[in-house]
Amino acid sequence: MGIPVSQMLAVARYVVKQRVMKRDRYPLVLMLEPLFRCNLSCTGCGKIQYPTSLLKQHVSAKDCLAASDECGAPVVSIAGGEPLLHPQITEIVAGLIERDRYIYLCTNALLLKQKLDAFTPDKHLSFSVHMDGPRAQHNFSVCRDGVYDIAVEAIREAVRRGFRVTTNTTLFEGADPERMRGFFDDMMALGVEGMMISPGYSYQKAPDQEHFLRRERSQRLFSKMLASPNKAWRFNQSPLFLQFLMGKRDFECTPWGNPTYNLFGWQRPCYLLQDGYAKTFRELMEDTEWSNYGRASKNPRCQDCMVHCGFEPSAVDATFRSARAMGATVASMVTGQL
Amino acid sequence: MSTEPREPQPIGAQIEQAFDYRGYVTLSRRDGSQLVGFVYDRGPAYVELFDEAASQRIRVAVDDIASIELTGEDSAAKAQKIWERRKGALEPPETSAWGDWEDREDRPVLLLVALPGELRSVADVIGARRHGAVARGRVGSVSAVGLAVGMGGGAAHVIAAEHPRLVISCGLSGALDPSLATGDWVLASSVCDDDGESIAVSEPILRAARRELVTGGGPARLAEGEILCATQVAATAAEKRALARPGRLAIDLESGPAARAAHRAGIPWLGLRVILDPLDLELPAFTRQPHPSYIVPALRHALGGPRATAELARLGLRARTAHRSLAQALCRLAPMFGPRFTPASGPTLGPTSGPTSGGIAPVEHAS
Repeated sequence: MGIPVSQMLAVARYVVKQRVMKRDRYPLVLMLEPLFRCNLSCTGCGKIQYPTSLLKQHVSAKDCLAASDECGAPVVSIAGGEPLLHPQITEIVAGLIERDRYIYLCTNALLLKQKLDAFTPDKHLSFSVHMDGPRAQHNFSVCRDGVYDIAVEAIREAVRRGFRVTTNTTLFEGADPERMRGFFDDMMALGVEGMMISPGYSYQKAPDQEHFLRRERSQRLFSKMLASPNKAWRFNQSPLFLQFLMGKRDFECTPWGNPTYNLFGWQRPCYLLQDGYAKTFRELMEDTEWSNYGRASKNPRCQDCMVHCGFEPSAVDATFRSARAMGATVASMVTGQL
Repeated sequence: MSTEPREPQPIGAQIEQAFDYRGYVTLSRRDGSQLVGFVYDRGPAYVELFDEAASQRIRVAVDDIASIELTGEDSAAKAQKIWERRKGALEPPETSAWGDWEDREDRPVLLLVALPGELRSVADVIGARRHGAVARGRVGSVSAVGLAVGMGGGAAHVIAAEHPRLVISCGLSGALDPSLATGDWVLASSVCDDDGESIAVSEPILRAARRELVTGGGPARLAEGEILCATQVAATAAEKRALARPGRLAIDLESGPAARAAHRAGIPWLGLRVILDPLDLELPAFTRQPHPSYIVPALRHALGGPRATAELARLGLRARTAHRSLAQALCRLAPMFGPRFTPASGPTLGPTSGPTSGGIAPVEHAS
C-alpha cells in the first residue's frame, strides 16, 4: 500500500491553489508539538530539555485544532515529545480527521501497541514510527536496549489491524550505508507504507554534539545508501528531496513550509531553530525576518542543515514550478530510480 | 586571579542569556519585587515567562527589569551530563515505557491470567473485547488491561510497557488444602516458587482486597494463604498432596513471575486464584501439557470412551463454576482499581473480619 491517492490529490490541489492565488509563502505540513515530555532520552534530540513543570504541560486538544484551522496545511505531523503520552491524543487525531487533514503521528512506538485500541484505521491517519536504523544502531540512538524489537512488534500489530504505518529515520555520523540498505529491506518487509529519511539537525541543546552530519558527509552517505534503490523500497517523500540529499539537486530552505506550533506558540523560524514565538500563524508568516535563514543568508546554523522540514517543501514547490521537475518526479515514481 | 566583582551584563544580554537557558531564572524588577520563571520569548520591549508551576504566562516590560539571574537547574546541561556519564551504556529494556511520568492518573490496572478462557472472565468484568491475548476496557473511570500470558508466562515486559497502578495475577488453580472446593477464592498472602523463594503481598493491599472480597454477602468462600507457583502442572491427588504444606492453599504456574516483576518495578500486586480442582480430584492427563487452547486435547480425550467423556463433562462444569466465581471476585475487587485507592489509608480490619491466614474464612459467597 502506498500513499492514498486522496492524500496525493489533496496535497496537489492545495499546492496548485496556493500557486493560483500567487502565494509565495504557504505552509505544507503543520508540525504540531502538543507536548515536550518523552519516554526516551535520545542522544541527538534537543527537543525535550525543559524543567519538569513545563514537561508536565501540554497543548490542549482545542488549541491543537485551532492551530490547524489557523494554519490550513493539508498535512499535520504530530511530534513532540512522545505524542502518545498526551492525554487527549485521540481527541486531537479525531478532530484533525474531521478537518480532512492527513496526519503523521510520530511515535517511538513504546506505547503504540497498547494504545492502538484507542484509534480506528483511517486513510487520514498514519503512525510514523521512529526507527533510526538496524537493531543495534536504533537502540544506541535512543539510548535504550530493546526499543527496536518493541517498535517492530508494534508496527506488525498496527499493520495487521489495517493502520497506515510509515517509519521515520534520522541519520547521524557513523551510519553504514550497506547496513541501512538492509534496514530499508527489513522495514518494507514489515509491511510499512513507506519510509522517511533525513539527516539529523545539530540541535544546540542535544546531549551528543559529536555525531551530527555535515553537509558533504550527508550527501556522501545518502548517495551510497540510495544508489540503485531496491525496487521494494518506498519513500513517503518527494523524489526530488531524496535527490537533494544525494547532492544531485540543490534547493534553498523553505523554513515556513513546515511551521511549528507548541506550548510556547508559533515557533520562529522553523521546526529546528527557536528564535522566538509568534502569537498567531499570521504573525509568524508576516513578521518573521525570513531572509535571515537558509544557506543564502549565511546564517551559520543553517549551513549544514538538510533536514526534511526545510527542504521537502522546497522540493514539493519545485515539482509544481516546472514541467521538467514534475517530469523528473513522475519518472522517479514510475522507475523507482533516484 | 582577580577578585574584583565583574561588571553586570547589559539587560539586553541578560535577556538573551535567559532566553537561551533551559532552566528557571529569577527576574528582579526595578521596584524590588522578584519573579521566578522560564523565559520562553522576548521582544524589543518585553520578556515572556511561564511561572514556576508552568501554569501562567507573564509578560514583563524590559524597562521594569533590573536584572535576570540563571538560578534554576539547566535541563540541557543536566541531560548532557547524564548522557556523558552513561556514554555507550543503554537503559535496560525493562525501563518504564512511561518514562518518569509516573503521576499520570490514567495508569491501568493490569490483570494477568494464563489462558484465553480466564481472559474471557476478565474481559467480561472490564467490559472489553479481546484482541488475541489482550483485552482492554474500563472499570468506572479507570482503564484496565487483561492479558493472557500463557501457562508459566512471564510478566516483566508487559509490566514495563503498561506501567500499571496495580497488578492482579488471577485465574484458576488447583487446591493444596483439603478444605477447598471448586469455585473457592484464594487470596495470596505470599507466592512461593519451587526453589522456596517467597514474595509477600503488602499488608495494606491484602487488607484492602480482603475487605472488598468479604463485603457484599452472597455464598462465597474466601481463604487466605500461600500460593505455590510451580513449573509444572500437579494433575494427580498424589502430586498435589506431595506439594501441600501447612498454610499453602493453591498451586499455579503464573503468580511467581507476575509477583516478581511487579515487586521489582515497585508496583503493588495481588494474587487471586479460584479453585478448579480440589485436592483429591485427578485431572485428565492432557492438562499436564501447556496448550494455548485446551479444546482439541479435550476432544481427543473425550474420544477415549464414555468414562473419559463423563470425566470431561464434570471438569467442564467445574471450570464453568470457577470462571463465574473468578468474574465475581474481580467485580468485588473493582473498588481497588480507582485512582483514589490508597491502600495505606484503608481502614484496618480486625483479625475476625476476614479469613485467618492459611484457613477458610467465615463463608461468604458471591452468586
